[in-house]
Amino acid sequence: MPELFSVKNVPDVFHKTNYRKGEIRVNKKWAKFLALPLMAAMLLAGCSNSNNGGNASGNASGGASVAPEDRPATWIADRKIKGLVFMGTDDYTEDMNPEIKAEIKKRTGIDFEIEIMKASKSIDGLVAGIAANDLPDFIAFYLNNSGRPEMQVVLKAAREGIFTDLAPLMKDTKVYSKYLQDDYLPNDTKYGVMFRPEFDGSAYFIHMNVNRQSGYDSRKYVGGPYIRKDIAEALGVDPRTIKTTDQLYELAKKIKAGGFKDNNGKDVVPIGPNYWGGQEIGRLFADLEWGEDGQWIRPDDQGKVLHESQTPNVLKKVEYVQKLLAEKLIHPEFFTVDETQATEGALNGTWGIIANTHNYQDYNQDMHYLPLGPLNTLDGEYQMQVAFKSGYSAWAIPSTTKKPEEVMQFADYLSSREGKLLWMYGLEGRDYTLGADGFPLVKQEVIDLKANDPNAAKALGFGGVRNWWGELLGSTDIDKMADFGEMEYGEKLQEATSQGALEIAKYWDWDAKRQQANVFDAYSPNAFLGEFSRGAELKAAFDNYRDSLVKAYYSKSLDNAKQVLDSALKQMQAAGLDEYLKLVEEKNADPHTKVSFRASY
Amino acid sequence: MKQTNIAPKIRVPQRTLWKNVAKHRYLYFMVLPCIVFFIVFSYIPMGGLLLAFKDYKFNKGILGSPWIGFDYFETFFNSYQSGMLIKNTLIISGMKLFLYLPFPILLALMFNEVRNKWFKNISQSILYLPHFISWVVVVGLVQRILAPDNGLLNQVIANMGGDGSTFYMMDPQYFYQIMFGSHLWKSIGWDSIIYMAAIAGVNSDMYEAAKIDGAGKLREVWSITLPSITPTIVILFILSLGNVLSAGFDQLYLLRTPGNMHLADILDTYIIQIGLQGGQYGYATAVGMMQGVIGLVLVVMANRISRKVSDTALW
Repeated sequence: MPELFSVKNVPDVFHKTNYRKGEIRVNKKWAKFLALPLMAAMLLAGCSNSNNGGNASGNASGGASVAPEDRPATWIADRKIKGLVFMGTDDYTEDMNPEIKAEIKKRTGIDFEIEIMKASKSIDGLVAGIAANDLPDFIAFYLNNSGRPEMQVVLKAAREGIFTDLAPLMKDTKVYSKYLQDDYLPNDTKYGVMFRPEFDGSAYFIHMNVNRQSGYDSRKYVGGPYIRKDIAEALGVDPRTIKTTDQLYELAKKIKAGGFKDNNGKDVVPIGPNYWGGQEIGRLFADLEWGEDGQWIRPDDQGKVLHESQTPNVLKKVEYVQKLLAEKLIHPEFFTVDETQATEGALNGTWGIIANTHNYQDYNQDMHYLPLGPLNTLDGEYQMQVAFKSGYSAWAIPSTTKKPEEVMQFADYLSSREGKLLWMYGLEGRDYTLGADGFPLVKQEVIDLKANDPNAAKALGFGGVRNWWGELLGSTDIDKMADFGEMEYGEKLQEATSQGALEIAKYWDWDAKRQQANVFDAYSPNAFLGEFSRGAELKAAFDNYRDSLVKAYYSKSLDNAKQVLDSALKQMQAAGLDEYLKLVEEKNADPHTKVSFRASY
Repeated sequence: MKQTNIAPKIRVPQRTLWKNVAKHRYLYFMVLPCIVFFIVFSYIPMGGLLLAFKDYKFNKGILGSPWIGFDYFETFFNSYQSGMLIKNTLIISGMKLFLYLPFPILLALMFNEVRNKWFKNISQSILYLPHFISWVVVVGLVQRILAPDNGLLNQVIANMGGDGSTFYMMDPQYFYQIMFGSHLWKSIGWDSIIYMAAIAGVNSDMYEAAKIDGAGKLREVWSITLPSITPTIVILFILSLGNVLSAGFDQLYLLRTPGNMHLADILDTYIIQIGLQGGQYGYATAVGMMQGVIGLVLVVMANRISRKVSDTALW
C-alpha cells in the first residue's frame, strides 16, 4: 500500500514529458475538474470535523481534542443533546458561547443545543409542541407547582406515553438520585408533580430548583409595591410604615396632590401597574385579598373553605378599587395595560408607586424606588412565607429520544458542583479564578462588562452574566453558599451589581422577617384541578371569574359589580365549585396533601 | 308520435373529452399548480376533521385514537357558553356581512366618479394601505387612540371641556362601534377593488345612451352601474355567507377585554381557547367543523335562492 503513494507511483498524467502538448492540456483540465470536488470535499470534511469536536481543540483552556483514551471521568457520550424550551424568556440565548460549548464537549462529549419555542403564551407553545409530536431530546417548561396550567398538558402527555419514565434512570445518578430519598423533595413536587400515585412509582418530569436544605433561600427577594424614593422623602413618609390599604389610599392622595413629575415632565400616576404588565396584584390590596391572588380560595373564620366570590370581602375590594379609579389614584388601565407600557412607566418614573417589582431588577440598583410596606394580610400582620423547599420549572425526555440515560447523565453532570461552576461562573481563567478556599473569585473585568454592556457580557454565556441555559437541566440541589461561598454571583466583590438588591433587602429588614417566617410544605388550592372530574370546566369558570372581577372594578356602580360577580359565581358553581372546595378541605385534612391558603410571599 | 321541442341529451363520448384535454394540454398544465395547491392545503387537511369524533391521544395519532361519536357536539351545546358564543358570532358576522356590504360598493362608485387621476391614485393607495397592516398593529392603534386620560380621543374631549377619562375599550356600550369602525377602516379600500373592476367592465355605450336620454349622474349610477355590477355583488355575498360563523379571530381576540368579553367572545376565540390553550383538540375541531358545515349549507342555500330569483349563481 505505501508504494501507491510514493513518488514513483504518481500517475503519468503529471509527467508532462511523456505526453504530447495537446494531451497535457486535456489532462490539466481533467485535473482541474477533479481538484474542484476534491477541494470541496476536503472543505466539508474540515467543517464537519470542527462540528464533531474540533471546537474542543480551540478552547481557551487549551485542551486538545478528546481522544478516546484521555476521556475525563465526566465523559458521557459523543453525541448531540438538543432541548426545546417552552419558556418565554430573555434569560437564555440559543447561540451558546463557543468556548463554553467546547468545554462541555471536552468534559462530557455532549454537543449541547437549545431552541426556544416562541409563543405569545408559553403554554400555547407547549401545547402546540407536544401536539406536533416532533420533540428533540428533552423539553423544558414552566412548572411552579402542580397547580400551574402547564401541569394538565404535560400530565395528559405523560398518561398517553409521550415521555420516558425517568425513575429508573435517576437511580444511577449522583445528584438526581437524591430525588428518590424519602425526605428530600417537598410534598407537591413528590406527590403532585413527579411521583404521582397514578404513575405507580414512575416519574415523567423532573421538577427543578429544589434546594438542598429545607427553608433555604437562594436570594433575598423583596417583591411587591415600591414607591419612588424622592416622592416618599418629599412627603415625609417612611414607606415601611404603610401597612393597610387605607394608608395606601391616603398616600396615593398625597402623591396626586403633590404634583410630582416623571422624567419627561409629565404628571406622575400615583399607583402604576405591575412592572411586567397589567394584572391584579394581591400584595397591593393584601388586607382585602382572599388568599393567593389568582386563586382566591381560603377558609373563613369558621374554617369552611370558600371562594372569594362567596364572601362579602370581594365587594369591599371592588369598592376600594372603584374608589381609586374614580379619584384617578390608580392607572386607569391598571389591570390590562401591556408590558411595554407598564415597564416604560416604571423606567421613566411615571408611576409614583409601582404595584409590583423586585429588588434584583437592574433599573433599581441605585434604589431610586423603595419597597412599600409590606401590607398586612387578612390573617393580620405580615409574615414572610417560605416554602420548605420549592420547585420551579421542569423538564422531560420524550419517549422518542434514543439513549435517554445519557440525557439524564448530562443533566446530572450539570447539576453537580463542577457542572454548576461551568454554567454559573463560566471558564476558569477567563471568567474567574479559584481562591484558596476552593470557591470561585469572579474577575472584576467581567463584572465591569456586565455593568457597562450587559449584552456583550451575556455573550460570555453563563448564568452570572444572565445567560441561564444551564438552569434548564442543572439548577437543582441548590446550595450556593456551600458550593460557591456566596449567595449571589460576584457578591464578594463590593461593586457587584446585586449590591443594590442586598441594600434594599437590608432596608426592608429581610433577615429579621426571615427569622419570623412561616416555613410550609403544602399544595396551592388550585393544585387538585387535574384530578377533579370537572377540572377543565371549572378552570374555564375560574378564568371567567378573573376577568369578571376586573369587569366589576370598572362597573358603573357597586350594584352592577355585584351582578357581574354573582353571574361569575353561578358559572363556577355550575362547573362544580362547591364539590371542588369540599375536595380541597378533604385534601387539607390529609397530612400528605396539606394546603397553604396564604399568599406565598 | 308526439313531437317535442326538447333537444335530445347529448352525451360527450369519453374519447372526445380526453381529446379535448390533449388539445388544451397547455391550459390544463397551467391550472395544475392551482389544483395541487387545493389538494395539499384544503382537501388533505380535511382528514383532520376525524378528530371531531375521536378522543385524541398524543401517542396514538388521529387514526389510532378511539371513536367517541358526537360527544363533543353534545358537550358544546350543553355548555353554558354555547348560546352566548353563537349569538355573539352571529351578531358580529351579521354586522360585517349585511351592514358592511354597501360601504365598499359606495366607495367604488365614488372612485368611479373621480375625474382627477392624480387624486384618485393617491386616495386609492391611502385606502388600500390599512389592508396590509396586521390586526395587532391596528388594535394597538385603536387602544392608544381610545385610551383613558391620555388617549387622543379623550384628550380632544378633555380640551373641549368634557370628562376625558372614558375607558372605551372596557365599556361594553362602545364595543360594536369600535369593532365595526376598525373593520371598516381596515377592509373598505381593499374590498372595493373588485367592485371597481366590475364597474370598469360596464359598457360605456350605455352611459352615452343614458346621457342622450337626459339621465343625470345619480340616475346613471342607479339605472346602469348598479344593475350591471349586481351579479358581482350577489356572488361576493354568497361567498361571504360561508364565513357567517367565523366573525374574524384576530380582531376579536385582540379587542376583547374583561369589560366587553360577554360581547366579544365568539366561536373563533373559543376554539383557540379550548383547543390550543386547553389542549382539547378534538373538541376544538368539532366546533370548527360545525362552523364550516353551517357555512357550506348557507352557501348552497343562498346559491339556490339566488339562481331562482335572479339567475345569478355560483354554479
